[in-house]
This record gives sequence, C-alpha cells and structure tokens, in this order.
Amino acid sequence: MVENTRLIELIGVSKDFDGTQALTDINLYIRKREFITLLGPSGCGKTTMLRIIGGFEYPTQGQVLFEGKDLTAVPPYKRRINTVFQKYALFPHLNVYDNIAFGLKLKKMPRDQIEARVKRMLKLVKMTGYEKRGVEQLSGGQQQRIAIARALVNEPEVLLLDEPLGALDLKLRKAMQLELKAMQQQLGITFIYVTHDQEEALTMSDTIVVMKDGRIQQVGDSKRIYDEPKNAFVADFIGESNILQGTMIQDELVSFCGQKFPCVDSGFGEDQPVDVVVRPEDIMIVGEDVGMLTGRVISTLFKGVHYEMMVEAGGFRWKVHSTTMQPEGSQVGLSIVPFNIHIMHRSTEPETRGDED
Amino acid sequence: MKRSVFAGPYVVWMVLSTIAPLLFVVYFALTSASGAFTLNNLVKFVDPIYLGVLWRSLYLAFYCTVICLVIGYPAAYFLASKDFSKNQALFVLILLPMWMNFLLRTYAMMSMIEDTGMINNLLKWMGLEPLEMIGTEGAVLMGMVYNFVPFMILPIHTSLKKMDNRIIEAAEDLGAPPAQVFYRVVMPLSLPGVISGITMVFMPAVTTFAISRLLGSGNFFLFGDIIERQFLEANDWNFGSALSLVMMALILISMSLLNKADPKQEGSGAY
Amino acid sequence: MSPRKFFRGTYLGLLLAFLYSPIVVMIALSFNGSRSRAKWGGFSFKWYAELVGDRQILSALQLTLIIAVVATVVATVLGTLAAIGIHAMKKRPAALIMNISYLPMTTPDIVTGVSLMLMFVFIKLPLGFWTMLIAHIAFDTPYVLYSVMPKLKQMNVNLYEAALDLGCTPLKAVWKVIVPQIMPGVVTGALLSFTMSLDDFVISYFTGGSTDKNLSMVIYSAARRGIEPSIYALSTIMFLVVLALLIVINKRSSLENVA
Repeated sequence: MVENTRLIELIGVSKDFDGTQALTDINLYIRKREFITLLGPSGCGKTTMLRIIGGFEYPTQGQVLFEGKDLTAVPPYKRRINTVFQKYALFPHLNVYDNIAFGLKLKKMPRDQIEARVKRMLKLVKMTGYEKRGVEQLSGGQQQRIAIARALVNEPEVLLLDEPLGALDLKLRKAMQLELKAMQQQLGITFIYVTHDQEEALTMSDTIVVMKDGRIQQVGDSKRIYDEPKNAFVADFIGESNILQGTMIQDELVSFCGQKFPCVDSGFGEDQPVDVVVRPEDIMIVGEDVGMLTGRVISTLFKGVHYEMMVEAGGFRWKVHSTTMQPEGSQVGLSIVPFNIHIMHRSTEPETRGDED
Repeated sequence: MKRSVFAGPYVVWMVLSTIAPLLFVVYFALTSASGAFTLNNLVKFVDPIYLGVLWRSLYLAFYCTVICLVIGYPAAYFLASKDFSKNQALFVLILLPMWMNFLLRTYAMMSMIEDTGMINNLLKWMGLEPLEMIGTEGAVLMGMVYNFVPFMILPIHTSLKKMDNRIIEAAEDLGAPPAQVFYRVVMPLSLPGVISGITMVFMPAVTTFAISRLLGSGNFFLFGDIIERQFLEANDWNFGSALSLVMMALILISMSLLNKADPKQEGSGAY
Repeated sequence: MSPRKFFRGTYLGLLLAFLYSPIVVMIALSFNGSRSRAKWGGFSFKWYAELVGDRQILSALQLTLIIAVVATVVATVLGTLAAIGIHAMKKRPAALIMNISYLPMTTPDIVTGVSLMLMFVFIKLPLGFWTMLIAHIAFDTPYVLYSVMPKLKQMNVNLYEAALDLGCTPLKAVWKVIVPQIMPGVVTGALLSFTMSLDDFVISYFTGGSTDKNLSMVIYSAARRGIEPSIYALSTIMFLVVLALLIVINKRSSLENVA
C-alpha cells in the first residue's frame, strides 16, 4: 500500500530550454510505494519532469528533495533511482546477462552475488534462460523486460519509466500493464510512470498527474480524475467528453443550449461563464417527447461494446454512447441527470497537489 | 564534467592546423614581399597569360567531368542493375584503381602513351604510323579521365543502390514504360549521386598539377602548375598565395553552385 | 544470357580493359628482363632486386609507413574524442565545428599544402619529417571525425544516460558504453586515415621539404626523369598492398561506406 511519507518532493521547479519554457513552477510530492503517472500530450513537460527526477536535466529554478534532502545537483549515478528508457536503451554490445549485471559490476559486487541477482531478476521478468542472448535479437516485448530487469536489479527506491510500453502492440501492452502493476506491488517500491495514454494511466496508477504546457492541471486518483475533472482540458484528455460553454445562473442551476438544467455544483457565483462537461456515456437517449433536449441523429458508428452517435440538439453536436442503436436521421430526446453535469471554471489555473488527502 | 570538453584538444588543433594556415594564405596574398598591404598580387593575376591558364584548367576539367559522367553513369547503372548487382567482385574491381596512388596510375598511363610506349609499339607491330600523344592536351585529358572515372561511378552507384525498388515498381504500376521510368524516376533520384560525382571529379581535375606535368611533358601549364611554380621555383609566395586564394574562391563557388542543384545535400558530406 | 545483359557486360568489360590495361602492362613490364618496353627480355626479378637495394626508396618507404602509423594513431584519438565532445554540444557550436572540419576535405590539396607550408616557414619550423607529420594529422583528423559522427548519431540517445543511471561516472560511461558503440566508425576512420596518409602526394610534397621524401614524392621525381623499370616493380608491390588492404576493409564493411 501507498505509505503516507513523502519520498520525493518537487518545489517550485521550472525548466527552460534556451528560452522555451518546458516546466513552470511545478510543486508535487511523491509518496513511498506510490504508482504515480505523469500524463499529458506530447510536449507537456512530463518527460522533462521525469528526467529532472532522474538527474539527466537540472531545473532552471526550484528544488528536488529526496527524503527531505536536496537532490537537485546530485548526478544520476549517485541517485537511488533507476530508469527504464523510452526505447529501452539496452547496450547493444552486451548480452542480456551483461546488460542486467552492468550496474552491479560497477558496484564491484562479488560475482556469485551478481549471478544470483541477475537470475532472480530474469525470473521476475519471465526471461529465465535468455542470459547469453544478444539484446538485438530480442523482440520489443522481451527488450522491454530486460530493460526493466536491468533497472530493478539495482534495487532502486524509485523506478522511472518513460513511456515504456509505447513501442509494443496493443495486446502486449495490456498484458504488460498488469504485470508492471503486479511487479510494483510485489517489490513495494515507487514507480513514476510517464505516458500519453490515458487508458494506461487509469488502469495502473495510484495517482495521476495530468499535465499541459509545462503545468500540472490536476492531481488525483483515477476515479477522481475521471469523475471530477478540474477543467475542460482534463475532461477532454481523460476519456471522451462533450464540452460546452454555459452560464452558471445560481448554485445548482446552469444554462446551456438555451435551456436551464439542474446540476449539483455550487459556489461559482451568479451568472458566471463556465465550461460544462458531459461524458458521452452519461447522456441517455429517450423518447422525443420526454427528452430535456430534442435533436436528430446525424451519424451512428458501431464501436464494439457500444454505438457512438452524433446528435445535433440545441445547436450543439453531442457525442452519445449507448448500447442501443438509433438510425441516422431519427429524431430523439436527450436526458442528463444533474449528477452527470460537470461545471468548471473557464480559466485553467496551475494546480498544486495536496487537496485529496 | 561535461562531455563537450572531449572536443577541446581538437578545437585547438583545428584552429592551428586549418584556420591559421588559411589565414596565412590570405595574409600573404594581400601583402608585398616586404610585408606591406597591397592588391598587386591579385591584379597581377588579371593577365592574359594567367587567365589563359585558368581557362585551360577550367575547360579541361569540364571536358574531363563530362566524359567521366558519360562513361560513368551507364557503368554505375549497369553495376546497380539486377544483372550485375550480385557481382561484388566486379564492383570492387572497377573501384579498385581509386585506391591506387594516382601517381602510379599516371605513371602507368605514361608508359602506355609515350612516344615509345605500349600503344605506339603496338601500332608499329601492326605496321601503322606511331601517334604523337604525350605532351598534348589530349594526353592530359586522358590521364585525368583515367584517374577520376571511378570517383564518378562510386557515388552514382551508391545513390542508385539506395533507391527503393518499390518506387520503380510503383512507377511501372502507374503505367510508365522503362524509358519513362528511367527518365522520370531513376534519373532524378540519382541526381545527388551525380552531383557528388561531379564534385569528386571536377575539383581534383581543376586543381591538379602532377598529371599535367607528367603527361603534358611541361609543354603547357594548368592552374595547379602555376601555383606550384610560385612556391617551389619562382619563390613568389605572395603571388602564389593570391593564386591559391583565387583557386579557393573558384572551388567554393562551384561547390555552392552544385549544392544549389542538390538542395537536400544528400550527395555532399556537409554537416 | 539476355542480349541486354550481354550488352551491359561488354560495356563493363571495356571499362575494365581501359582501367586495367595500363596496370597490367606495368605489372608485366616489372618482370621484363629487358629495359626496353619494345621487347620482352625474359622473366626476371631483377627490378625487384634493384628496388630492395635502393636506399632512397627504402628510406622513403620507412618514412611513409612511420608517418602513416603515427598520423593515424594521433588522428584517430583526436578525432574520436572530438566527435564524442561535439556530439554532446548544442546544435550551433557543433555545426560550426563540423563545418570548419569539412573545410580541409573540400580545400584543394595544393592549397592545403601551400597554406601549411606558409605557416611552417613563417613560424620558422624547418620543413621535414615533423612538418609532414603535422600536415598528415591535420588532413586525417576530419576523416576520423566524419566517420565516427554518424555512429554517434545512430546511437540510441539514452544509452549514455542509461549508463549514468546504472552508476557510471561520465568518463566510465564514455569508455564502457559510447566507445564500444562507435568502434566500427573509429576503425573505419583509422583505416581511411592510414590509406590517405600512405597515398598522399600533394600535401607531403609541399610540407616535407626537399630532404624527407615519402614514396609518392620519390615516384613523382622518378616519373619526371622518365621511365624507370624499378618504379614498375614498386608500383606492382604497392598495387598488391592496396589490394590486400582493400580486401580487409571490404570484409569489415561494404566499400561504399568506406569511400
């Protein structure tokens, strides 16, 4: 289980690459045994943040603490942190065994101990018997496992993973997600995981940090991020959403599409412009006469588990997910329960963590 | 420690061995024997004699390049074609002379075309009149072509080999007959190789002095010859430097013209 | 055989004849017992024997080899370190250094030769062995740099960081990870340097002065004097050495990557 002690803390961290601001005033702590995911589109600064924690980049401003001690200027080879790199970065001139033993040999560990630990690691990643193989003969998935073993064999306190599953096919990726999560729980160490795949983040993480343009947008567990996105960006990035501009008329009453809807949010003031977010699966298709909005189905797509329909209603194109199909061109009514209407401030303010525990 | 410090010794070395000597050329070109600033050395070059030499160097190098291209392109094309692409030995054999000292190649050519050389021996044996070859412009041109034709074949061959065969199949699929495939697809795609081949032939051809000295029997001079003479015989280093400067400018201008023809820079090694 | 292949084969055959007839004639003449090219004086090794007794040629050979070996070693170390350093630099300084390094490769040999000669004379360094060696290192190093650089660029960008991550100090990471990765480029660069040094005439001609002559310089002065059968013998030996070297290089990588 995640412990409540703060293992790593980033305080006011900014990073600037020749005038391009990659990170702006990041404040975040990472707890012991936590599986934390940095999630965001490419260029959002998530990899830069990981590289700062790994020691491959130094922040332009701010501090990184490790168990309360300043880690900012400590070079990577002196950190108790290991990394699984994006394209694995296995040493092509070494075989599987020597790749995994690399760190241990540098520590001048006795040979029999190295052997025992490499063996144990190979077993953990289910690659027993591959010691003598050249790493370039391995498949992507196998290279992935060796990269994980090479990092974990050093018994780091923290494992950094930079889009480690990005190069694998969908099925393998799903399997590895579960394995990684199981590994993390078995070893009881902290994983900091970088991905742009929201589904992956939701599946594995204890905590998700959503980032955009070098700023943290929201920090929270999967459920909270999904159900209570802080702003339209998070709502749009995590899962699919209908995002509309609306006006908060008063507490628990919002207007959009020229109509008033009851909702559960309050504290926005009166007659304030807001963003309204409704998940496609939260919209019910009902009879034309009983709907809160009425409209016409303009397209229907079969998506496997559900149908995705675009419904033009109230001057907006609604994306609706439903298990029952409505033919294109049919007139339907749409209904949304108050709980599923999420109201957000228009502006996106930088987020600091500390609100959920 | 930053990894970039590894480049430190080299950067110092580069300044001393590349930049400094060129600055010396500029310095000598713009001063008189007594060390005073002057443009006389450059003015001296604008003289029918020297301009004539420059002109001869240029047209000989131009002919040489054209002949090498005409001989070399088909050779590269055939070598890269399905008929011979598996024949590694043939390829090595054609490029092997490239690795042989050019003086030896020139020397070998000399023993063929001298007045008492192999060709004339052969003609005599057949009862024909001997030809006067050595000491003519034709002999120098022949020596240049002989020396430089592999340098034309290699880059063209490389660019043809690199070509994705599916592109050619795509052209055929779209209805291009063989001649059209060659003209519309193969040739444009091999252009970087052609450009780099032209560079690799024209540059040494326009600057050589040894080939003209040996095969031209000293009957006429090329640009390289007059530079060499200023330094090793006439001892006019200032004028020699000015001539070197002109040659550098000539090379840089032709390089940039060629680079313009190959904007992607695939052919040249520029960083 | 299709007519097309026949035509192409004939063309390449004629080209080979053009390229090799002078060489073959020269090799044949090196075994000619007679001094005259017009008649065959029987098979003989006498020009080779003369060659072995020729002190000028032997000392030129020695000089050529020493210069080639020393220049190759220095250029390889200097160029490889430089490539590693430049690779870690920011784009602009890296491009600047690479472009300046490209300069000696495009500068005509004769200009490189006279420019170095001018500098040596100006700083009162007597022309001879040392100046020739410096000149060779100068023109070899960029070739090493340009052979190693592509290997560095091909390398996974994270390899160096992975080594640091696993506990290497920067120096150790370079030695244990980067150097093994770029080794093929280093060896290619070294072979290229060695061949260039062995082969060089023009730059040595200007920077070697009149006392220290390498093989090319000896051949040039012999050729200016006229035909000398012992030079045929020398050419034959050198041709065979180049052939052997080339087979070694060709085994390492395809010829196109070397040239």
